[in-house]
Amino acid sequence: MSMDLIQLFKAYAKTGIKTRFQYHLDSFLLSLAVFVREASSIFGVYFLLLKFDTLNDWNIKEIFFMFSILSATYSLFIMFFMVFRDFPDWIKHGDFDRILLRPRGIFVQMILNGADWVAALSHGCISILMFILSANSVGIRWNAGSIFYYLVTMISGTVIQGAIFVFFSAFNFYFSKNHGIKEFVFWKSRRFATFPVSIYGGVVQNILMFVIPFAFVNYFPAQYLLRKSDMAAYPEYYMYLSPVIAIVGFTLAYVFWRFSLRYYQS
Amino acid sequence: MIEVNNLRKEFKKTIKDPGLKGSIKSLFHPKTETIAAVKDISFEIADGEILGFIGPNGAGKSTVIKMLTGILTPTSGTCTINGKNPTHNRKNYVREIGVVFGQRTQLWWDLPLRETYGVLKEIYEVPDDKFKERMEFLNEVLELEDFITSPVRTLSLGQRMRADIAASLLHSPKVLFLDEPTIGLDVVVKHNIRNAIEYINKKEKTTVILTTHDLADIEMLANRIVMIDKGSNVFDGTISELKSKYGQIRELNFDTSDAKAREKLAYVKQFKTKKEDIIVEQEGNMVKVRFDSSIVPVSEMLSYTLGKIKVNDISVKDADIEEIIARLYKHEVG
Repeated sequence: MSMDLIQLFKAYAKTGIKTRFQYHLDSFLLSLAVFVREASSIFGVYFLLLKFDTLNDWNIKEIFFMFSILSATYSLFIMFFMVFRDFPDWIKHGDFDRILLRPRGIFVQMILNGADWVAALSHGCISILMFILSANSVGIRWNAGSIFYYLVTMISGTVIQGAIFVFFSAFNFYFSKNHGIKEFVFWKSRRFATFPVSIYGGVVQNILMFVIPFAFVNYFPAQYLLRKSDMAAYPEYYMYLSPVIAIVGFTLAYVFWRFSLRYYQS
Repeated sequence: MIEVNNLRKEFKKTIKDPGLKGSIKSLFHPKTETIAAVKDISFEIADGEILGFIGPNGAGKSTVIKMLTGILTPTSGTCTINGKNPTHNRKNYVREIGVVFGQRTQLWWDLPLRETYGVLKEIYEVPDDKFKERMEFLNEVLELEDFITSPVRTLSLGQRMRADIAASLLHSPKVLFLDEPTIGLDVVVKHNIRNAIEYINKKEKTTVILTTHDLADIEMLANRIVMIDKGSNVFDGTISELKSKYGQIRELNFDTSDAKAREKLAYVKQFKTKKEDIIVEQEGNMVKVRFDSSIVPVSEMLSYTLGKIKVNDISVKDADIEEIIARLYKHEVG
């Protein structure tokens, strides 16, 4: 990353945060609402696990740990890729035209300009909370190797979710109306990813592995660190596949997006 | 130097039959229709020129502007600024241009105006000393000082427009696109903005491409006009050329207290057979007769009318540009 890009990032971050502070009560309530929503889904998991003790050999702490990976990557994802969710609005209000008028990379501008720090904060808090609750009691030996693996997991998980949204947002170049399909697919898949993939039937499993690859955001990385017995159903190398899927998936989504740009009608 | 060669832009539109059945059908067998919003447009603009780019609503003006600014990719044809092409190298191209869309702002809405210039400085990589110098110049021309610390959302429309023009000039572009820069502004503010544009054009030799519905903007600023309609060039030339080509329109104002005389004037319409070019309007004691002096010379019209009626006063007026263009839009001439 070159110096001038860091300067640009700083400038955008400054205006982004300042804008948020213009409406601090609004921002605070929004963060609170997101926090409460996420916390309630965690309680849902908690009460479910009270009944079953384990789900396919996963106990509550282990599921919390897996959930912490999901929320951590998700909070990084909304920080950098949220703009792709709101892309139809960007087109409608002419904000995207403005980006095309500026002598910086289109993606760079979108990611830096769209960074949503406040929304990222509440998911970040949830993930840190879940991590603290679980990380030391699920039998992970935190050494250089596992910490490195964890960091790679963070990056690939963020990029995989980004790739999904970039891919779907490319359709907005063809259809100006937002049909909400991408939200539906994304949120449903993310909901499913709260639990180990192995508990689902074949169709859902395949979707989560090969179509909307949430399994590689949190399940397989958690498997590497936790080694639960249900991993036997999958090839060993799946635990190392997340970065590959992130790179390949994002490249494909990016190429498709750039290709679709020429059909932009403004 | 801006060169626009055979620019064309087609849009595909999907046609949907009504009802649910139609929706399902169009999902599997989409029927599309190709519409050429811009058919074939060519022109050149020399450095330092102010070009008025006009045309009726739906003529394809904004599509052309969007291609010239690199927002839309042309279906065919090219536009280059100093040899740079927006389709091949967008980043290099847009460094050369500044764009103001009068109906939208590029300013950070919730923040003090100064913050916008701070971000733009980073986006365009303007060095500190250059930035300071530039802000001083823009401040002098557009008088930003009074509101530079106010949040953009609190600015008046005129202040916002000045701020927007300054924002698009921060990186010293060679070409400035102004799309409706005076829309919704009062007369005094309009005047100030025009003066500022003229000053910048003179001082920095900035090429200006001006799209507007306010022909006073054009008359005061533009050296040249390009008019398009239905996606093609209709006229390209100076204002005096436009006037000499289409503007042989003269208006005779008769002031007469004699009601019979006013009635008689209505029959002027039948003078020579080209009656569609003679328009007669009555307003109180005044009767306006508008006609094309290349068909009926003014002297002939005067001797014809004055031979029949008595008048208190009479005046002859040149048609203004507004009149000519209104006629062109309605395809009355040309």
